[in-house]
Amino acid sequence: MTGLDGEIGTEEEGMSAHSPCKNLPSFSSSAEKEQLQVEVELKLLEALEIYPLVKLCGIHRHFVLFGLTEYLQRSLKRQFSPSEVLQLLDRFYNLDMLEPEYEDIELLNQEEDFCLPRSFFVKEELLNSTTIGGI
Amino acid sequence: MGGSSKDDDSATDSDDFNGDLPESSSGLFQEGEKVLAYHGPRIYEAKVQKAELRKSEWRYFVHYLGWNKNWDEWVGKDRLMKNTEENVLKQQALDKKQGADKNPKSARAGHTKPKASTDAKLEKEDSRNTGTKGKKRKSDVEVEKEDDGQVGKPVKIQIPLTLKKLLVDDWESITQQDKLVKLPRSPNVDTIISKYVEYNSLKDGSHGMTTDQSQEIMNGLLCYFNKVLPVILLYKKERQQYIEAVVGDVSPSATYGAEHLLRLFVKLPDLLGKIKLEEDTLIHLKQKLNDFLKFMQRNQSTFFLSMYDGSKASEECGKEEDN
Repeated sequence: MTGLDGEIGTEEEGMSAHSPCKNLPSFSSSAEKEQLQVEVELKLLEALEIYPLVKLCGIHRHFVLFGLTEYLQRSLKRQFSPSEVLQLLDRFYNLDMLEPEYEDIELLNQEEDFCLPRSFFVKEELLNSTTIGGI
Repeated sequence: MGGSSKDDDSATDSDDFNGDLPESSSGLFQEGEKVLAYHGPRIYEAKVQKAELRKSEWRYFVHYLGWNKNWDEWVGKDRLMKNTEENVLKQQALDKKQGADKNPKSARAGHTKPKASTDAKLEKEDSRNTGTKGKKRKSDVEVEKEDDGQVGKPVKIQIPLTLKKLLVDDWESITQQDKLVKLPRSPNVDTIISKYVEYNSLKDGSHGMTTDQSQEIMNGLLCYFNKVLPVILLYKKERQQYIEAVVGDVSPSATYGAEHLLRLFVKLPDLLGKIKLEEDTLIHLKQKLNDFLKFMQRNQSTFFLSMYDGSKASEECGKEEDN
């Protein structure tokens, strides 16, 4: 089920039949839908200012994609799935050509022994952390 | 002294901003001006290094006095206040509320850092995460156009108390008692995450997130785990075992289990701090991660070992957890 890279197969939640985004590849050519399409593309380009393309490869890519998806959802006020967002991006960019940033590579080269922060060992501090699942 | 801010939750939701600053055709604040700036739940003395007009809004690059320049950042006028007596009183009020020393340097010295770490870079990053500066309160999107080297704000993740204790026991077993986790683990990380995904799909629109989005987060965790396990999640004494256990195509997530997955959560603030995420997105993300931690906690007896493998003669039973 999960490969080496840990990609879990997506399971699309039942989305509203009215959402044009769901059928992106098989778009009809009606003017309205085209307009929406342009809107989506513009928002996507806007989103890339915050979530740079280069971060979409490398170890953080899933979280970056998550952020991108949420951005689109918020600005366009409708559901998007991460795979749709990837599809959208794929129209503009050759995602396969992306290479991880230097920082990413550096991180993986800096081996370090694990250690627990001291706060874990101070009883008082352990007791203070009573909020379970707090934000 | 108050607990480490690692255990502190970020600011309350009170909208306490001084929003009565008039709109001005030139910047309200000047370069070189000493100001008061909001950061997390507190107000700090800062100095405006630069002022720029961007997209018809003034943005100010501030340096927090007494803090490392790594904390320097671009902010909007809503984060800044003039250095008046009135505003200083506000600062003091927030200081009192936080119950911390007013001097940022000594306050920071009082907070814990992982002294055992020999890597200075890691220490600096950890001090960001356990330091007094919390996350921004306001849900601005800061569109930073600076170089990619800039790190995002620290992301605080609350690990439930019982899980924290497990981590301490884990530390004790391995570093003090020379024990090891017997590999391969069952359930392993792959299984644990699958189970969570399954459980999550049964919850309708959990935390306002679709199943796909939740899965993306879990994919992210899995990806982190597989990439960083050998880099930052192993104690020295476990390295040999790793070399022997994870060979060829075998993935760490198929070999290791809850014990090591939990260690990832200790490092998550560091990792997530390397990317920029919007405030609202961060909130959703943390909700999901906290939910996952609770899931691990609920299934503690199935997921976690009660006994580690001791190669020594002393047949000490591993610590039994109180649930």
